[in-house]
Parts: sequence; C-alpha cells; structure tokens
Amino acid sequence: MIRVDNINKSFAGKPVLRNLSFEVPDGRITALLGANGAGKTSCLRIICGLLKADAGRVLVGNADPALDPRGARRQLGVVGDREGLYERLTVREYLDIFARMQGLSGKTLAEALAAVREELELGALWDRRTKGFSQGERMKVSLARALVHRPQHLILDEPTRGLDVLAVRLLRKTLLRLRADGTTILFSSHVMPEVAELSDRVLVMAAGQIVGAGTPEQLAAESGCSNLEDSFVALAYGQRPNVAIAQGEPA
Amino acid sequence: MSDKWNPGAVLDGLTQMAPLLRKELLEAWRDRRALLMAICFSLMFPAALAGGTIFMVKKQSEDVTRLALIGAERAPLIGEQLQSSGLDVESLADGDPRDLLAADYDLVLEITDDFAQRYQDFRAPRLYLYVNSSDTGSGRAQRELQERLGALQQMIVTQRLSARGVAPQLLAPWRLETRDVSTPSSRGALILATVPGLLIMTLFIACLATAVDSSAGERERLSLEPLLVQPLAGWQIITAKTLAVASLGWLGSLLAISALVLLMPVMPLAEFGIQQATTLAGVVAMGLVLLPLALLVAVVQILLALRSQSFKDAQTQLSILQIAPVVLLMVLDMAQIKLADSWQLLPLIGQQQWLKGLLVGDWVSPVWMLAGSAVTLALVVLAIMVGARALQRESLLSAS
Repeated sequence: MIRVDNINKSFAGKPVLRNLSFEVPDGRITALLGANGAGKTSCLRIICGLLKADAGRVLVGNADPALDPRGARRQLGVVGDREGLYERLTVREYLDIFARMQGLSGKTLAEALAAVREELELGALWDRRTKGFSQGERMKVSLARALVHRPQHLILDEPTRGLDVLAVRLLRKTLLRLRADGTTILFSSHVMPEVAELSDRVLVMAAGQIVGAGTPEQLAAESGCSNLEDSFVALAYGQRPNVAIAQGEPA
Repeated sequence: MSDKWNPGAVLDGLTQMAPLLRKELLEAWRDRRALLMAICFSLMFPAALAGGTIFMVKKQSEDVTRLALIGAERAPLIGEQLQSSGLDVESLADGDPRDLLAADYDLVLEITDDFAQRYQDFRAPRLYLYVNSSDTGSGRAQRELQERLGALQQMIVTQRLSARGVAPQLLAPWRLETRDVSTPSSRGALILATVPGLLIMTLFIACLATAVDSSAGERERLSLEPLLVQPLAGWQIITAKTLAVASLGWLGSLLAISALVLLMPVMPLAEFGIQQATTLAGVVAMGLVLLPLALLVAVVQILLALRSQSFKDAQTQLSILQIAPVVLLMVLDMAQIKLADSWQLLPLIGQQQWLKGLLVGDWVSPVWMLAGSAVTLALVVLAIMVGARALQRESLLSAS
C-alpha cells in the first residue's frame, strides 16, 4: 500500500500540492487524473523520494521515502514521464544493470531478465542498442526496467503518452496481469478513456488537491454525469460541462 | 535522498555501486566522439612537440645567410673577411640586386666602381646593401652583416690610427661585447617545461566530453531520473560517474606520455643538450602521479556540468574553465617563480612539478608526492560529497 498523508509542496512560494491525502491499496490500479499543472508529477516524485514534501508524510509499504529513500525505492518500480534510455547500451545490458542495482544476481537475475523479455515482447530488441528506438519500444524497455525486480509498488507517470495502439494494448495487458499478481499500481494520466478502462479507482486532482475519488461509476454518480470525462470536468472545475460550454469556457 | 555519509559502509557501498560503474564505463567508452577527442589530443601534442623540435634543429642547421657580393674584385678584403660559417658569400662581377634577391639570396652587397679610388683618398667609399624587408629572415641576416662590416670597419680604423701614432683607445673608451650564456641544455629545459602543462591539459580535454555527457547530457536526455530512483546513495552515483570519466582522462594522458616517450628517440634532443632520461619506472610514476588528478578533474567537471542549464551550456563553461588552470601553470613556469616545497601540496602545481622532474630524470621527493596526492584525493572525496548533495537539488529534475 502507498499512503499519502496531508502533504504540501510549493515551488518558489507557489503551492502545487495542498493537504494532499490518499491511499493506494494493494492489488488495485489507481489513476491520478488531472489536467496539466494539477500536481500529478510532483505528487509521484514525492512518493519516489525525488522531491521532498514541505509538510506531511508518505509511506511506500513500510518505508518513508523522505527518511529511508533506499528502502522505499527497493519496493518501487517507476516509469517516469518522457524518460530517456542509455543509448549506447543494448536492452539486455540496460536491464541487467538495473536489475543488479536492485540487488538481483545469479539465477534470480537470469530468471527475472527472461521473464520481462517474454512478457514485454522484447526478443527482437534484446541485443540492440536503444538509440533510435520508437516511443513504443522505449516505453517497453522502461517498463521492463521498472518491473525487472518485481516491485510491490509500480508508479507510472503518463505512461501512454505518445504510444501507438499496440504499445498501449501491451501496457494495458501488463498492468492487468500485475494487478492480478497483487501489485500496487498508481499511474497519472489526463487521457479519460485510458483511465476509465484501466483503473479500479480514480483520484481526481485539481490545483494540488484531491477533488474526487472512487470508481469511474461512483464519480459519475457523484457528479451526476454520464461518463468519466464529464465527471472530471464537473469535479475539477466545479461546473457541469454543458454549462461550461454554454458560457464559452473550456470544457 | 537524505543519504548520510557513513565511512564504515564505504566498502559495501562500492560493491553495490559495481553495476552502475559498469553502466558508466560502457557508456563512456562507447562514446565515439569522446573517445576520438581524447585520443586525437593525446597523440596530437607529442607529435606537434616532436615535429617542432625537429623543425627547430633543422632550421638552425640550415640557417646560413646567402650574400651576393657584386664587384667583389674592387675590394677583395671585404669578401674574405665576411666569409664565415654563418655567411655564404658569393662574389659576382655584375647583376641586378632585385633579381638576385628574388633568386634566393638573402642579401646583396654592391661595391661601387670608385670604391678603390675613394678608399685610397680617404673619401668614405660607398657600399650598397639591398634587402627585401618583406622576407621574415632578412632582418636577422641584415643585422649579422652590419655587425661584421662594423667589426671590419673598426679594424681598419684601428690600423689607420695606429699607423699615425694615435692610440685607437682614444676613439673607443669602451668595447661592448655580447655573450650568449644560454646552453643547449637550458634551451632544452625550456622546451620540456611546457610538457607537464600540456599533459595536464590533455587530461582536462580527455575528460571533458564524457563529464558533460554523463551529467548535463543525462539530465537533458531525461535519463538521470531513472538512476535517481534506484536504491543507490548520491555518493555512489557521483563516484561511479567520476571513475568512468577519470578512466578516459587518465588513459588519454597515459597515451600522451607513452607517445612522448616513444617519440623521444626520433626527436633531436641531444642538439638541445637533453639526454633521454625517462625510464619505464618514470613513465609508470608519471601515470600514478596523474591518477589522483584525473579523479579530481573528473569530479569537478561533473559538478560544474550538473550546475549548468543545458548540455551546450556545460560544454561552453567547461571549455573556458579548463583553460584557466593550464594557463596558470604555464604563467608560473614562464615567470620562473621559485616555489617553496610546500606548494607541491596543491593539486595541479604538485603534479606539474613532479612531472617536470620525472621527465628529465631528476629526483622527485616521494614524501611530497605522497602528501600532495593524498591532498588531491581528499579533495576528490570532498567533491564527491558535494556532488551527492547536488543530486538532491530539485532543479535537476525536468519540469513536467
């Protein structure tokens, strides 16, 4: 489980997260849904220990990333937003190195590498250097890196950005399989169909706060809308979308 | 990111760092651009030095002024007196001075038709000296000839005065003689004095591309973040990067030392009074001396690159900054400032002094070498700790 408890964060005096609290249960896919600038990436970076919260506490399993960053990171797999690969390494070398950094070795390492190769269909890319990979291929390698040590918690920041249909399908299949295995999954997105299809629970973020939480159906019922997109607009902007459009505001 | 420095865990930490070090080494050594830059500069400066000394000696040995003497038969004494090892006098009955200068003569001296008559009448006969001032070598040749003619003139004046019972000393209260006391050896030492500075500069240049690529480059390619979310301490990340960058810089300078030692037999060092005194032990010692400095240069370059705004910004800053210490070393050397022994404790200056000694086979105090290297290594550790803190800066992360 990931627990975020009352965290606050400001950049240059401008608050980006305000009293943010939520829980991500084990064996569930939780989506952090918000517009650009809502604070999703900052929130995920605090969970990973890349940023420090000004106030509040985060727990990844039983480790606080601010106090025990290495303990938290051992339990985490992270796929960042638009992250780069090491272009002079082959996929095999890249994954081998990251698996070893996570403490794998010997037979465990070989099995872990074989498993991600199989699961993420990396066979054709295995001995190729990552320079020139397509966005989909890059995502597959990044996901393999995040999964190679079989972390209990998986965090993905805008994982489907720039991906083609096949890559999105593979990602979806992988996440559903991981959920079945009991992995705690938290991903951020602003793509409504993707969130609606994948997530068990949606956290709607606006201006650094959670303004709605529940299954897509619960959110629709709460906001009186028929779909997630309309629910999001209603919750995030406090207006029914048809009203917003009528008033000439962006919906 | 709140990793505490714990000296007791350093050995364990180094073992955990091994996969990251492998990654950094693979990335560094597969970067063709960085490798090419390191190898090219490492070989370029010893080759330039060898070529330069060969050219200097060749030029010196061929440095004979060719003088065309028109009308030599009118004053045979002048031709005879001017002829010497540095001056090749060719007597010609006639000729156009411009054509002769164009035809590879450095100077043309014309003795006028009435020279003998005017000489006998004590009416100061004329000599015409033709020079081509656009020829860079003409000034030196002209000076030499005028000195010789001046000496010849002085001799004749002395003879004339003596014949008339006048003491020549009356006309010359003193005689100025210039004596060049520089020895071939001291001139050679001046040449070799530039070598340590160039070796250190090689180290800076060989480290540069990899330092920028592994810090500012990774940050710009967004591949630093995946590293920062691994269960590694900041000091491990900086140490692994430092070792990889230093490996390239150090091997670059080793390549330069090896090339220099291999080229020494073909360099005319004996002409400068230098005996090739560099032994295999000397080469090994030079390599060892440069190792702590390679680590310091690498970690400082990484720190500076991490602070810069972009890859290009880092390249520009480091290119400028790397010149400063090398220029400082050269200025210290050219100013011939006598430094106290304790200056050897300072990085760069220490290494420069030791390299200078090792190159000419002089004795270098191992105590100062060890102490100076220890200071350099202590600064490396300090810089790694600063780097570990720098990795916690939020500005390192990309804006999303």
